[in-house]
Amino acid sequence: MATPIFVTAASIAAELHQAMLEAKGLALTAKNARALAVRAGSKTVGFKAITHFIDELATDIIRQSQYINGVSEHLSHNAVALWRATTAAEKFDWIATQHSDNIASLHSAIHTCYQQREALSHTLGRGLQELEQQLEEGDKHIRTANLIATSSKVEAASAGDFRNQLEVIAQNITDTADKIRAHLSQARRLLGQRQKHKP
Amino acid sequence: MLATTLYENGDHRWIMFGRDPNKAEGIIDTNQYMIQSGDQAILLDPGGIELFAPMLSAVLKFVPAQQITHLFASHQDPDIISSLGLWDQALPNAKLYSPWLWESFIRHFGMEKIEFCAIPDEGMTINIGRIQLQFIPAHYLHSSGNFHVYDPQAKILMSGDVGAALESTDAPLWVDTMNIHIPKMRKFHQRWMPSNDAKLDWIRRVRQLDIQIMAPQHGRLFRPPQVQEFFNWFEDLPVGIAIKR
Ligand SMILES: [Fe+2]
Ligand SMILES: [Fe+2]
Repeated sequence: MATPIFVTAASIAAELHQAMLEAKGLALTAKNARALAVRAGSKTVGFKAITHFIDELATDIIRQSQYINGVSEHLSHNAVALWRATTAAEKFDWIATQHSDNIASLHSAIHTCYQQREALSHTLGRGLQELEQQLEEGDKHIRTANLIATSSKVEAASAGDFRNQLEVIAQNITDTADKIRAHLSQARRLLGQRQKHKP
Repeated sequence: MLATTLYENGDHRWIMFGRDPNKAEGIIDTNQYMIQSGDQAILLDPGGIELFAPMLSAVLKFVPAQQITHLFASHQDPDIISSLGLWDQALPNAKLYSPWLWESFIRHFGMEKIEFCAIPDEGMTINIGRIQLQFIPAHYLHSSGNFHVYDPQAKILMSGDVGAALESTDAPLWVDTMNIHIPKMRKFHQRWMPSNDAKLDWIRRVRQLDIQIMAPQHGRLFRPPQVQEFFNWFEDLPVGIAIKR
């Protein structure tokens, strides 16, 4: 049985929440790296410059995750309303087959219900599209994170006494980017599943 | 869903819905009632969400949707009113009369269009078509905010969970021998009803009414002399038994 879309959307929201928490960790890593780079002086000028990028990236990911999180929560809400309208519509369809004498008296209620179902279904479709775009945007951030992680490693290699500490930080960036990527691809997988058997 | 006409006088009718042979396994069987007069009708304890479709279908055999102007929920239980979210789609202009105590709880079943009309603790009367109905206080029987419905013209008391018995869907409609029926009611009343004081207050109240039919929400219905026999039996029955003294 297909997972109801309100469950899917809520699960996507949960993935994005996790991604946001990771990005907050990344911001902290950037702060530590900068403090270290400042103490290390001239040998880590390159690394210090990179920390600004990390910080910026973390802020971007946090902002975007929060946004996607909001979109998917809204979608989940919307999908619950759609489910209710659909449930009612199905009951009405069944009643219509029962040859009730007064079935005509339900016409306007049934009509409103169908209309509501159409409108909600439309809104939901648009929302899902937006979610798709936003998640693609998220992938770009991950590619940037990987570039930064590579540059950090290169810079760390030439940092003399601070090499070990900076390498730990560089690794940290790589790991965090991986985790965020995992959450994003899980979110996309959920969304993809949903797109296959539309609401 | 079977429909039985309990009373008919001109356009004033009481119809009972229940004993649904297609009812899903594991949900308690319930009696729903509709009172009609003129071009208005009220559904009493319209039932659970599982019952909505067969119930609406059965009701439409008697009245068009626009004439179902009122709903009544004696209390907040799911077997009473968990169908509300669907009625809300079917009867956008209806009013729901229910104990004031439960308004913010009952709204959890979903109610956007139907208007909630709060019944005050002391009860009230309303007009349906050309008749007047009384909401009789039955608090703590079993719910802490609870009403029964009395129709002085038809002389019928809808008594909610009071008088309820757990029986199969093919049980007869009427109680015949009290001695046989009592064992089917005892546990239900002793365990679900919490207060002996509330029970005595209710008995004092309903003994003043002229009752030709007592119609509970589960099980068989009572006619005289079983109505009076029920009051006597209930009067002596200790309730609230989950608290061991
Ligand atoms: Fe109840
Ligand atoms: Fe009940």
